[in-house]
Amino acid sequence: MGDKSDVLQGTLDLMVLKTLESMGPLHGYGIARRIEQVSDNSLSLNQGTIYPALLRLEQRGWIKSEWGASETNRRAKFYSLSRTGRKQIEKETENWERTAATMARFLAPSS
Amino acid sequence: MNGLRVLLVRIASLFHRRNLDADLEEEVRTHLELATADNVARGLSQSAARTAAMRSFGGVSQIKEGYRQQRGLPIFEILVRDFQYSLRQLWKAPGFTITTVLTLAIGIGVNTAIFSMMDAIVLHPLAVPDLDRVVTMTEEQGRGEYKQVALANYQSWLQQNHSFEDLAVRQYASLSLTGSGEATNVDVDYTSANFFHILRAKPLLGRLYEPSECQHGQDHVAVLSYAFWRKHFAADPAIMGHTVRLDDHVYTIVGVMQKSMQYPSTAELFLPLAPTPTQLEDRTSHDYLVLGRLRRGVTMGQVQAEMRVIAERLARSYPASNLGYSVKIEPLLDAINGDLTPLYFRLVLAAAVFVLLVVCANVANLQFVRGIARRPEIAVRTALGAGRNRLLVHLLMENIVLGLLGAIGGLILAAISLHFCAISMPERVARYVAGWSNVSLNGRALAFSLLLAIGAGLVSGMLPALKSLRVNLVDQLKAGSRTTSGSRQTHRLRDLFAISQISLSVLLVIGAALMCKGMWSMLHVADAYQPRQSLTFNITLPAARYATDEKSVAWYQDSLERLRSLPGVTHAEVTTALPDGQDGWSEEVSLENRPTVPGKFQSAMHLAVSAGYFQALHITILAGRLFNGNDTLSSQPVAMVSGKFAERYFPGDNPIGHRIRMGAASEGKDTWVRVVGVCSDVNYDWVDRSNEPAVYFNVAQMPPGHVTYILTTTGNPLLLAGSVHSALAAIDSRIALDGVQTYQQYLNDCLVGLLYVAVWLTVDAGVGLLLAAIGIFGVMANIVAERSREIALRIVLGANPKDMLRMILRRAAILTAAGVISGFVLAGALARLSASLLFGVSPSDPLVFLSISGAVTAIALLVSWGPARRAASIDPMRAIRTD
Repeated sequence: MGDKSDVLQGTLDLMVLKTLESMGPLHGYGIARRIEQVSDNSLSLNQGTIYPALLRLEQRGWIKSEWGASETNRRAKFYSLSRTGRKQIEKETENWERTAATMARFLAPSS
Repeated sequence: MNGLRVLLVRIASLFHRRNLDADLEEEVRTHLELATADNVARGLSQSAARTAAMRSFGGVSQIKEGYRQQRGLPIFEILVRDFQYSLRQLWKAPGFTITTVLTLAIGIGVNTAIFSMMDAIVLHPLAVPDLDRVVTMTEEQGRGEYKQVALANYQSWLQQNHSFEDLAVRQYASLSLTGSGEATNVDVDYTSANFFHILRAKPLLGRLYEPSECQHGQDHVAVLSYAFWRKHFAADPAIMGHTVRLDDHVYTIVGVMQKSMQYPSTAELFLPLAPTPTQLEDRTSHDYLVLGRLRRGVTMGQVQAEMRVIAERLARSYPASNLGYSVKIEPLLDAINGDLTPLYFRLVLAAAVFVLLVVCANVANLQFVRGIARRPEIAVRTALGAGRNRLLVHLLMENIVLGLLGAIGGLILAAISLHFCAISMPERVARYVAGWSNVSLNGRALAFSLLLAIGAGLVSGMLPALKSLRVNLVDQLKAGSRTTSGSRQTHRLRDLFAISQISLSVLLVIGAALMCKGMWSMLHVADAYQPRQSLTFNITLPAARYATDEKSVAWYQDSLERLRSLPGVTHAEVTTALPDGQDGWSEEVSLENRPTVPGKFQSAMHLAVSAGYFQALHITILAGRLFNGNDTLSSQPVAMVSGKFAERYFPGDNPIGHRIRMGAASEGKDTWVRVVGVCSDVNYDWVDRSNEPAVYFNVAQMPPGHVTYILTTTGNPLLLAGSVHSALAAIDSRIALDGVQTYQQYLNDCLVGLLYVAVWLTVDAGVGLLLAAIGIFGVMANIVAERSREIALRIVLGANPKDMLRMILRRAAILTAAGVISGFVLAGALARLSASLLFGVSPSDPLVFLSISGAVTAIALLVSWGPARRAASIDPMRAIRTD
């Protein structure tokens, strides 16, 4: 089990969106692996938590899903960005940068 | 936008849950396979690869659960599923379910029935739009002496006010209806034409009368009340244009009022009020009731301020008649309800809520026991990953289901009890209760019972549910662990519930007993007058045919002589009000040569009686003489006064020989009356029992138009009714006899409201006591069951079974004592608070308090005797072996 700190919801959403932007259509496992690789395994994420996040994004209409065949030839659901999803990435990125900048100001040694 | 889209997607998902579940299943499986394949490629063995895949995926069930919650509307789904599950669970425990549902049904039923009556009678007696803007107005003389309104004052208000949309005036009258069969008296209301508009009343059939018909000579039209139309015309829709004969005037029926229009509740017919020019100028005859509809946005404070100014202006312009008068404005709803009815309802509803609390405590105790039995189930669910809140919702749902089932039973009980209330209410009283015929289980009552059901479910379920969630997983899941005992804290809670049940039932029973005792004394308050051997009835002399005093006096003389000669009659007398009844009215009184300060008023009860009245009712003469045959229309008018009158208005002086006058001086007639005697005090007001000063006039000198006859008899007074009818019909067959009943029945009618309160309180107390007895029995039985092994062990080790009996009884005694003492204190405090409500009741009645506490203690110990016996007769070997 270990100490797995929860990944902030918005953060995970943005990671998924960015992954789909750069990789194109991908199934859940692929997205989870990609996030792990990009974060250089420093993020201890339960891979399963990707699914509620994917559902949430789909419900908002930012991504769409389609059944297809995986590399092992199993039926797998492939997710891809929708048009609104693409626009959303910009907004989410801005949001994130603003938050990060704010946090950075808090964490900077006070003068 | 986004939120709505998500909601729609979620709702849509509810309808193909099964497919979506399969999809999720497959997606997860694919994920794990891909991960396993990757791990194998990195050189792990098949099984290690799969384990690693599972580990990095996280808890599969939790993830799936989280996914499902994200997908659908989890709360809704959970509630529906829990609802179905609860129904199944309850079906499997029929004993528990039936007991609980019945208990809840009683609690909810009592409350719903009382709420329905309160709703119809107190909260919504009239179907009038914007009822809060409709007010009644009376004139207030000095402080607290309310009078009806003089017509000229009404005219002034009408012209000078800016606060009212409109004002209307009405006047009550009792007329004799002749023409079809035996003469009967009917209650009518003369109203101005806009009276109906103020109440926004529309006719059911035909039309209402116009202002042009409220003119002298044009006023022979009538609007029937719904009840009168049903009763006398069998609801014939073709009645318009027919005529009715009232007091020898003929009125043409032009309309029928709607059933919902029950104001004034007694009015059987509405007739146009057509005042004469002299009446319109009159500021001294306070004979009219004024009704107004406030303009939108005008507050009570504003209208009161304006009317104060107008009243002051009138007092300056007409000091002789208006000095010292102000205007009292009251919302119509308050005027209809009076002071007591809402208070009574609150009292009874409070008792019903207490019953519901006892019910909740009982259900909670049952739930505690059930909670212990369900521990393994809870433990398994927790182990399988059910969250705490999720389980709490699940457990509470069961209570809500129980509450709802209880509400169904409660509604049935409420319908039954309302039916009994309806059939036990005498029609002659019901007509004075506005809204009585509207009493039913309506939408508001349904909503109320639903609210109670959910509330009772949550209240009774919360603590047991929280308790049963605190299970020790490991202990519970260990095979063979069958502990049946609750934790120490559970015990303390259960004790607390048992104590509060006893406490509440002591409170209820003491309250009911005080009320019944008060009721009993009220029923016997007039026993000195032998009300069970006396027959009473009322008559009204039609003003048209008895226009002169001579004619009226002749009627009284003739009728009394004939009645006295009937076999079995010992006395026959008339009076305008019977002692301890509700017909007494008080009036301003003036003493000759002793003027009062202007604006300061003195009043007394005004009675007119026949000469033998005092003897018939054993009223003693303290000084002077009685009325006698020499007091006639041509002799000096005389009066008798009560002891209280002499004391208050002639302190240290002899009133005999002085002259007094009642009411305002009118039309230059010499209305001074000489006091010839003083009699002992008699009470004429069943509510205010302070024996107001009274003045008696002789009907042979000042004959009233409306009187009550009282006949004392040697046998059953009701058997005389027939011969009384024919004796009076022989004089004038067109005079109707009203309310022929014994004096006691008349007194009982005054007390009907109070009687209902007493009966409801007694029912509440009985139910409360029964439930508390069941409750303490349950608690004691449970204690014995839980401790059976301990008791068995003690017996094996040499304890005397009798000691075990004593041990259990001691525990019962401690619980009972705590409950009785707290209930005793609570009852004392509440009785003091509501003492003003309970006539004839002393809030500190040690006999009632002590005997009831004793009785409840005895009952509690008696029901604990069974469990205690069981403790003493436990077979040690069997008890120990059972586990």
